[in-house]
Amino acid sequence: MVAVEAVVAVTKRVTAAARLSAAALALPGLMPSAEAGRVEESYQADFQYGHYAESDQRMSVDIYQLHGAVPIGEAMTVSANLVRDVVSGASPMFNIKQRDGKPGQVLTGASIRDQRDAASGSLSYAFDPVTATLGGGYSAEDDYISRYVTGQLSYEFNHKLSTLTLAGSVAFDQIEPTGLNLKENKSNQQYLLGWSQVIDKNTLLKLNATFGYQEGFLSDPYKSVFFDGRGLLADTRPTRRYQWAWLGQLVRYFKPLNQAAWHLDYRFYTDSWDIDSHTLEMSWHQPLFEGWMLVPRLRYYSQNQAEFYQAFFSADDSVNRFSSDYRMAGFGALSGGVKLTREWLAPGSLDSLKLQVGFDYYDRKAAYQLAGDNAGDFADYHAYTVTASVQVRF
Amino acid sequence: MKIMLLLCLIALFGCTQVKPWQRDRLAAPQMAFDTDPLETELRQHSAFSKEASSGGYGGGGGGCGCN
Repeated sequence: MVAVEAVVAVTKRVTAAARLSAAALALPGLMPSAEAGRVEESYQADFQYGHYAESDQRMSVDIYQLHGAVPIGEAMTVSANLVRDVVSGASPMFNIKQRDGKPGQVLTGASIRDQRDAASGSLSYAFDPVTATLGGGYSAEDDYISRYVTGQLSYEFNHKLSTLTLAGSVAFDQIEPTGLNLKENKSNQQYLLGWSQVIDKNTLLKLNATFGYQEGFLSDPYKSVFFDGRGLLADTRPTRRYQWAWLGQLVRYFKPLNQAAWHLDYRFYTDSWDIDSHTLEMSWHQPLFEGWMLVPRLRYYSQNQAEFYQAFFSADDSVNRFSSDYRMAGFGALSGGVKLTREWLAPGSLDSLKLQVGFDYYDRKAAYQLAGDNAGDFADYHAYTVTASVQVRF
Repeated sequence: MKIMLLLCLIALFGCTQVKPWQRDRLAAPQMAFDTDPLETELRQHSAFSKEASSGGYGGGGGGCGCN
């Protein structure tokens, strides 16, 4: 791929490609929600605005999400989603070896504005005790296009105390990096086997297992790797990736505490790039009075580095797969937030109206890695997200 | 995986029968596995763009240039 001799030269060259900023953090996704497949009884219209900002003038993203659902007859629901992300800011490109021998991070230069627009839709049909959902979506950025289809079957049994879910999705993506003469493709398949269970009158449990297979151009075209004494090479990752994840979710009701609910999630993830991760998350949903609800949340995440990751390489490193992407590094992240909700039941001719505001803080540090060997703070950063949403049922 | 299977079996057989009229509290909005799908989508995708992991939660979907 592209090999360049001097850091300075590359920094200038890649500035044009600062759209990677854009690419590197376009937010919302096309992951179908965990409740996909539920057949709704009322019309729904939801809008959410989010603002995401990283420390040190790095990426910031404005996110606009629109969701609508329409019940058709007794058994069918059609839903549609629109998402727009507007991205600007700088983003890490590579690490250099500093005079003291430690890595230093080099960011993209000028900030460039980029935009992602995505649309998705789904159709759910319930023929008791099975619910089937078919969906698909399209997402477009200047340098990235994704198309996907999904399917899901849910089967309720055991007096409706148990639900078995099978789901699958296939995505086809096209990558045409700005400023580079490159046109690449990748595909992504994901399969899910899920089980949810009513444990007792206060407790719900869900267990999911997912398998993913990615193939094609899985490198980041805007990231480079510094070989001390040789210069920069383009980020070069394997062309295949197998991913497994197991998720457990527990939800518990506390009637004496004004009907509060406790949510606890744990996910273990492992893949063929030798990355393992642990995610532990919990939230407390506390109804207050007159339709007010307060939801504090805490999350801890830890991953070890990919087998081909190093902050930088030495000239005589003989490797054919290499990345210095901070997302392939070993690190941990602590995050927490709070959301305040006010719901009005039957205001005017509506079934319900809900207004929400939320704040979330995310702190990423190499030192937070579980049993990690703290590679230093050169790639540490933090970010916050604020959200505001309105949800209408009618 | 074995632990998962064991948990599944416990889940299926180790629990009390909950009668339909006892299920109202399980239907409370705060008891949904996903209480706010739009927020979940934003949070999941934000994590996906900053971390190497994906999967577990949803049934998959399309990609973006963010990862």
